[in-house]
Order: sequence, then C-alpha cells, then structure tokens
Amino acid sequence: MSLRVVKAGLQTTLQSAPFRGHRHIGVPAAGAADSLSLALANNLVGNSSNDVALEISLNGAKLCSEATAIIALTGAHCDFRINDEVQSHHISILISEADEITIGPAQKGCRSYLAISGQVDVDAVMGTRSTYQPAALGGFHGRALQDGDILAVKQFRGESYSEQSTPTQFVPSITNNMIVRVTVGPEFHRLNQDAQTSLFQTSWDVDQRMSRMGLMLNGKILETEDSGPIQSSAVFPGVIQCPPSGKPFLLGPDAQTTGGYPRIAQVIKADRHLIGQLRPGSKLQLVKTTPEQAATIYRKKLKLLKPWLGDSQLW
Amino acid sequence: MAPANKQIHICDDWLTVDFSDLETIYGLCDQIRGDTHWMEVVGGLQSVAVQFDPLLLMPNEALALFEKQLASYAPTTARQYSEIELPVCYHPDLGPDQELVADRMGIKPDDIAHWHSGLEFTVTMLGFMPGFGYLQAEDTIPDIGRLPQPRQNVAAGSIGLIGHQSCVYSFDSPGGWPIIGRTPAKLFDANGQVPALLSAGQTVRFVAIDKNKFEELL
Repeated sequence: MSLRVVKAGLQTTLQSAPFRGHRHIGVPAAGAADSLSLALANNLVGNSSNDVALEISLNGAKLCSEATAIIALTGAHCDFRINDEVQSHHISILISEADEITIGPAQKGCRSYLAISGQVDVDAVMGTRSTYQPAALGGFHGRALQDGDILAVKQFRGESYSEQSTPTQFVPSITNNMIVRVTVGPEFHRLNQDAQTSLFQTSWDVDQRMSRMGLMLNGKILETEDSGPIQSSAVFPGVIQCPPSGKPFLLGPDAQTTGGYPRIAQVIKADRHLIGQLRPGSKLQLVKTTPEQAATIYRKKLKLLKPWLGDSQLW
Repeated sequence: MAPANKQIHICDDWLTVDFSDLETIYGLCDQIRGDTHWMEVVGGLQSVAVQFDPLLLMPNEALALFEKQLASYAPTTARQYSEIELPVCYHPDLGPDQELVADRMGIKPDDIAHWHSGLEFTVTMLGFMPGFGYLQAEDTIPDIGRLPQPRQNVAAGSIGLIGHQSCVYSFDSPGGWPIIGRTPAKLFDANGQVPALLSAGQTVRFVAIDKNKFEELL
C-alpha cells in the first residue's frame, strides 16, 4: 500500500512523538504540534496514539491512494473530500485504489492530522519517526513532503474495517480564539508591574511570522526592568520569551533547546497541544495558574481521555 | 560541596537552578542525567534545568527530589573530560570574516590560523542546532562582536568567533557570528552511537589544514 502526494501544500510533514532525552546535545522536541489531534486520528484507524501521521499546515494538501486503506482526519476545521465528495472529520474512512484525498485550507485552527492504518513506513531516528526539518532529521528524508512523493504504508488492516468515530465529548473545540493556561517563567519578575498585569490582560494576536519553531505575539509592548539578555539557558516548547523589543514570542515544538531572552511564562503541559492550532491572526488569552494546579489539570485531562484514547500521552 | 540555599524556579514540568561555575554544571548534569525521573537534563551557561513528567511527579515532588540530589552532589575530582582536535581549513574562502577578526585583534589576516590554532577552548554547552557547540577560550580575547547583519546561510562546520566565545556550526543555518574557518568534521550524526561529536566540558584544539586536506576529509 502506498500514498502518492499530489499537492504537498505549504508544509506537510510526518510527525509522531517528540525526540526525547537529547536536548543537551541540541536536539529539539519536534513531533506533532497538536499531540491530542494526532492521538485522536491514530485512534480512529487502529494505530497507537503516537504512530506517525501527516501533519498538514494551513493551506491543505492533496493525496492519492494506491490501494485500499483506512484513513481519518482530525485537527483544523477544513473542507475534506474524497473524489470531490465531502467527508466528515473524526471518522474512519475506507478508501480504495486511485481515490483522491483533498484536505482544504484550514478555516479554524492551523494543522490537520491525517492518520493511515498501519502508519507510514519510515525508519525511526533517535527514537521517533517525527521530522525535524532544520537538521533534516527523521520523517520522510528529514524534509517536508513534496509533490510526487510516494509514502509506503506498513501493513494494511483494511479487511478489519468497521466505522469508528470520535465520540462528541472527545472532539476538541478548535477555534481562532484560544485560551491557554501558563505558569510564570524564571524571569517573569523582570517584567515591570504594568507588564506583569498586561501579560494576562492583553488579547494577543498571533503574528504572520509563525512556524513550528515559534510564533510572535502582537498586542502590547511588555516593558522590562532589565531587558538585557540572560546567560544562555534551557528553553522548552511552550515557553514565552520576551526579547528587548518587548514583543513576546511563544516557542513551538521545533524551538531550539537554549535561549538568551527572559523566559516570562510557560504554557502548561495540559494546554500545549493547543499551540499547534494557533494561526496568523488567532487571538490568544493567557491565564495564570500554579505549577501544582497545572499538574493536576494535566492528570485530570489524561484521565478524561483514557476511556477513548487509553494510556496516551500529550506533549 | 553541596550548593546550599539555591533559588530554584519551577514550572509545571521543568525546573531550573542557577550556578556560577561551569564545572558544577557539567558535573551535576553528568551525575543526574541517568535518573529516569528526568526526561531532559540541560546545562546552560549558568544553570541546570531538568524536565519531568507531571503524570509521574507532582512539581513539589520533583522539587524535593532535585533538592535532595543537589544536596548530595559531590564533584568527582577524578573526572577527566576528553580532548578533541578539530581540523580547520583557514582558507579565506571558508573564513569570510578573517579580516574583520584580524582587525579587531590587531593582527594580520594571514596570522589568524597560527593564532587561533594555538588557543585552547572548552565546550561550554551544545544548543541552537543538534550538535552545535558553544566554546569558550582559555585565553582572554577582546570582544569582536557579531556581524551587523546575520548571514542567511552559514555552512556546516564553520567556526565562529565573537571574542572569548566561539562556536562550531553543525548544520547549514542562518547565523551572525564572524566566521574564520571551517572544519570538515561531522558535528552530528543521528545514526552514530554518540550522535554529537562534542560534549560539554570537553577541551577543543584546532589544527590547521589546507584546502586539499579539507576536501579529502569532507
């Protein structure tokens, strides 16, 4: 079984779990930007939640199946068709040879996840099949998919097809108006009193300049008591840094492992999957919480998801 | 020497503590990296951060564990860091900013190779890109500073120098450090037993090679 990439779109990459345990040698996390949508897509086609799927950004993609397979699409709200026939998201679909799969531009959210039963057959590199493009690591030859690429799919489980759909209560709400919870970062105190308040009162706009590495937030210039650089220190996906310009930016899954700008906040692990659905123009509201509360929220979230997703992970 | 009364900042799945000396950072990182509670152990220039899974450890539990490890940390005096020699071609084609650096140093561009290969560096940390090394000279070097305009593309293997601090680019990437030469050594190999050629704490010396040798080793 294989899938042919007809139109790869802006940035379609293979993503699964992040790289782990290699940040001290400079290897970023990478992995699905929206880990929850990845798990939900995989679950519908009988894969493990962390199996590799196609992450399709903003302007969609077009693929052609070269045999029978089961697929499912989750994530961003977009037009989804097979041979021009409109399909639902969050449902497993049996496709046949020469079927054309069209994923339209994202209307709400930013990234779609297309899972295929048996998952795309690529080698694991340093423990994952995810793609980290800047160093050409993992995925499909370390790069984004291009028109004409042929993706081999491991084993076909089409004979066992029975329609699956995500129960409504497990379908995440994806909007262009996001609220995420954060804890304060190590250099939060460098913001002056006004800025400390503004961080949580401003309705932030996601800038046009955004990528899997990070996104810039417009809305208010945050003034710092001390805008000087910090000695290069560890940063993680979901960290919000504040450079001397006072324009904060939020780190994505491909962000580098260390940084020299004040780390003013950290999106909590339970909400980090939402970062993957932020797009240029999205509104973002930050809500302050404590590390203990955040960990409790994370545990509750996984417990709520367990009846449908089993022992899955978010990152 | 247990670092006492350390200020630790904690988020929901990582924590960080500041240190003033690199030796403690290298030593502590090495000592705790094997602990499976820590998903990541990242040394910075003045800090150590660890990441944990809040499903397994509540932040206060992670903090208690880390504090315990800090208290029982004892530097191993016998610790030897490996040394590495990196071949570098100082041909001006591969070191486009030699003139700028020579000018700041008050030496001739032709003397860059001799001067630079006589220095000893320590790898302070890896970051920016997989296998990208941040180095620090043993000697005092005056401030050179970054390029006024970063380059869109710096070739893998390029050696950057901004003064006391130096770096080795592991992949083609944008970058703003003045470049004085290039090593043919592969800084990162995802399929290697040890993917990164450099590691924090290591001593680095540069050995001058000509362009033919560079091509041969590439």
